[in-house]
Amino acid sequence: MTRSIKELTLIVVFSLILAPAAHAHKVTIFAWAEGNTVYTESKFSGGKMVKEGRVQVFDSGGTLLLEGRTNDNGEFSFKAPKIADLNIVLIAGMGHQNSWKLSAAELGGDAPTPAASDQPQSEPASLEATHAKALSAAAPGLTAQEIEAIVSRQLEQKIQPLTRMVAASQDKGPTVSDIIGGIGYIIGLVGLGAYVRYRKDSRQS
Amino acid sequence: MHISEGVLSGPVLVAGAAVALAGTAAGLRKMDLAQVAQAGILSAAFFVASLIHVPVGPSSVHLILNGIVGLLLGWAAFPAILTALLLQAMMFQYGGITTLGINTVIMALPAVICYYLFGPFTLKKPRVAVPAAFACGAGSVFLGAVLVGASLMFTEGGFLEVAGLVVTAHLPVMVIEGIMTVFCVAFLKKVKPEMLPGYDNAAPGQSIAHGTML
Repeated sequence: MTRSIKELTLIVVFSLILAPAAHAHKVTIFAWAEGNTVYTESKFSGGKMVKEGRVQVFDSGGTLLLEGRTNDNGEFSFKAPKIADLNIVLIAGMGHQNSWKLSAAELGGDAPTPAASDQPQSEPASLEATHAKALSAAAPGLTAQEIEAIVSRQLEQKIQPLTRMVAASQDKGPTVSDIIGGIGYIIGLVGLGAYVRYRKDSRQS
Repeated sequence: MHISEGVLSGPVLVAGAAVALAGTAAGLRKMDLAQVAQAGILSAAFFVASLIHVPVGPSSVHLILNGIVGLLLGWAAFPAILTALLLQAMMFQYGGITTLGINTVIMALPAVICYYLFGPFTLKKPRVAVPAAFACGAGSVFLGAVLVGASLMFTEGGFLEVAGLVVTAHLPVMVIEGIMTVFCVAFLKKVKPEMLPGYDNAAPGQSIAHGTML
């Protein structure tokens, strides 16, 4: 009687613990650029935002450009100090760390800023220039650069939710097939181990 | 409790890998045919347990179950935990391949320590066995948290500071795992007491234990 009660309690305890959805335990950081402002979002894979996580921004050479902390929503944004490939590292404490690489191309979108307009655009530029000429002919009073800036700003706004969606889909927690696959590996290893042990034991006897 | 790649310094990683290797070798040497299956089952349990999350403060922690694994396997906890961690690193990107060694030590060493500290008491009267089982479950999480602090002290500042933070974050897990270990021990004592350490007779078990302590 007491035994069945204990077994029942055990089952209840286990099912209570197992009830919440399974989550992975690692941290991810996701960064995107709007103009030359870089926004980052950091979260634990369970969906919990990283509060007060340290964010360090390095250039491709590995020199530290700037550093900051995430707010309560796991967000941290900064003005890109220069147009270059950035390596954004999140240090969430207790040994949790991850990084996100942001390419210079993503940053270079905002034409009116001096840094961005300096960008060398050799061959495609001539093509774009003819386009721009046609455009400015259609809308006089706007220079090619202005049109380009408006278009890229609009595009960024439109694309941003998509980029977020892609980042979120990359960060799916463990799937059922992963879990079953892992258990399958372990069963296989048990078989292998048992085989090796068995051969050794039968040889000895 | 999985330390990510790129956080730790080289010497810590190498030391961790060396200890994990020694522990795994000791565990494999001690494993007999019956224990292979047991180790596999517990390895699978450990593999899945990390998916069960408890949100705490700024972080979120997950079940570890290293106390139960250690209690039932002794030194074989090393190969069992190593296997599970390797699969977690490959499939869920928990931890990482370079930190596999140190992560194994962080979770398996406390398991073995608690096996020796509390294992012998689990077959005693409930008055002794219940606190011992609780201490085994909670203690192995606690020691794991202390080891996380120790391995991070070279890169993330003071040992006490980091260890304190990790221990506090894992307090709920300690309580949950302590209670779970109590239930598991009570259950096994009724159903299959020979799985608990020191069942057959303490004397030969003790001598074997000392022989492989290295």
